[in-house]
Amino acid sequence: MMSLDAFSALLVSGLVLGSIYAMMASGLSLVWTTLGIFNFAHGVFMALGAYVAWTVSDAAGLNLWLGFAIAMSVAFMAGLGILIERTVVRPFYGQRDMLLITVMTTLAVMMFLEKGIQMLWGPRLKQLRPIVEGKVSLLGITISAQEAFIIVIAPLVLAALWAFLRWTSTGRGIRAVGQNPDAAKLIGINASAMFAVTFALSAVLAGFTGILLGSLRLLTPGLGAEPLIKAFIIVIFGGMGSLAGTIGAAYIIGLVEAFLITTVGFYWAPSALFIILIAVLLVRPEGLFGRRVA
Amino acid sequence: MTPDLALEVSGVRAGYDSYDVLMGVSLKVGINERVGLFGPNGHGKTTLLNAISGVIKPRVGNVRFMGDEIAGKSPQAVVDRGLIHVPQANLLFPQMEVMETLELAAFCKRAKPEKSANLDKVLQLFPRLKERRRQQCKTLSGGERQMLSIGVGLMCAPKMLMLDEPTLGLSPKLKDELAVAIGEISQTGIPLLLVEQDISFVLSLADRMYLVDHGEITREVSKGQDVDHEQIMQMYFGEEHA
Ligand SMILES: Nc1ncnc2c1ncn2[C@@H]1O[C@H](COP(=O)(O)OP(=O)(O)OP(=O)(O)O)[C@@H](O)[C@H]1O
Ligand SMILES: [Mg+2]
Repeated sequence: MMSLDAFSALLVSGLVLGSIYAMMASGLSLVWTTLGIFNFAHGVFMALGAYVAWTVSDAAGLNLWLGFAIAMSVAFMAGLGILIERTVVRPFYGQRDMLLITVMTTLAVMMFLEKGIQMLWGPRLKQLRPIVEGKVSLLGITISAQEAFIIVIAPLVLAALWAFLRWTSTGRGIRAVGQNPDAAKLIGINASAMFAVTFALSAVLAGFTGILLGSLRLLTPGLGAEPLIKAFIIVIFGGMGSLAGTIGAAYIIGLVEAFLITTVGFYWAPSALFIILIAVLLVRPEGLFGRRVA
Repeated sequence: MTPDLALEVSGVRAGYDSYDVLMGVSLKVGINERVGLFGPNGHGKTTLLNAISGVIKPRVGNVRFMGDEIAGKSPQAVVDRGLIHVPQANLLFPQMEVMETLELAAFCKRAKPEKSANLDKVLQLFPRLKERRRQQCKTLSGGERQMLSIGVGLMCAPKMLMLDEPTLGLSPKLKDELAVAIGEISQTGIPLLLVEQDISFVLSLADRMYLVDHGEITREVSKGQDVDHEQIMQMYFGEEHA
């Protein structure tokens, strides 16, 4: 039997992981459903967002308020997302092998940006200041305020994303282009503009996740590599498509991973997680929340 | 000067990849006119609408809408001008709800201010859509989807509508309902270009009709000219089918 404290600790670390994964995977899933590609540069977007915020807030005496750093980083990531879509995705849109070509081009972007970060920011280890300092008590255990902040902010960010897609004209336009680009064209929706917004949104989500994680972990150019792999798995596991499915899968995987870390240990947890996922996919090949196609 | 023609297509050649489907098509639709386009399967009716609405670019020829040259313009630019193409067998947006789809369709700048007025019009024209407001497009019946498809066209605040086989696969009763609705739409001063396989449907609605054959317009029939069903079938399929 697990003690109540141990259970609370597990729940909290599972929720932190789930929050990070949900924000990463929802950006990836949005790009997948709208453009039909997998963006392998999504992980390095996360690292870059954290590095840009670090530079604005900490480096070279620029000891500015962290909120300003976040705003700068968000603006930078939006611009970068648009730039990447223009340069390595749009030229291939409509080609038969687009999915495979863009695997290559976005992998190239990933490598280029990782090396670029290494070159620009050097090997010295960096850490972001937490957005909120101190400790809080939650469910009978004490955790860092930053972790509590992540648990609270993630659902708010995801709810905002959902509301944007559900209620605004641009958000609906993005979904329309993803579901039927030909019909979208005929009601005057400019697919290119929707793609640019989608990529910008997804890059901002990744960058913001990097900022949140950058005070819990040390910044490295590869900060986003492991979350990216998890995010891929989550999108597949969540049924490849619905945002709700992706978010649900992210929290489930976060909690299962936290459970595995406390039971089989840090070393074997990733392998054990894969075994569980494969077992689930054997029973439900359409993913956890995907709909079976008749 | 206001043009007396809504649409004027002249000498359009267009097609897909490297081959032409349309071999120089010319036609006119007057403001306040309802024009039918009739022809066998695969002879280029849909291709013609695509070439007009910017889905494909004409290789040769002109397309004028309300006096402006629009040949080669993007579909978005054509929608912005108010020429709306309601495509054949439109699946719309499978995971979107009916009401959401209608609201979305008022996407262009011109349509936004008229959104709630047009929504009222559409729901009055097709009360069934109101009953189905929260249903996803992919679960709609064929008839309901066709109504939604036309409704979506109306939400774009059209100055002219091009309907591609609105009665495809519908029962006679639904066809009649749709004919009434389309008639009401054109009564509000919206010129129509109507592609149809059902000759009596075209004859009941259109003031004038073009016959399309192998990518060319081979005949023009006005309402006054008493051309009946059988004569047209003969023209297309030869004596034995008539
Ligand atoms: N996207 C496309 N790519 C290549 N060829 C096409 C495409 N769309 C149509 N075609 C071809 O162009 C020709 C004309 O097709 P079109 O759809 O214009 O016919 P239609 O008159 O609308 O027929 P229907 O009454 O069956 O709808 C056909 O031979 C068709 O195969
Ligand atoms: Mg057709």
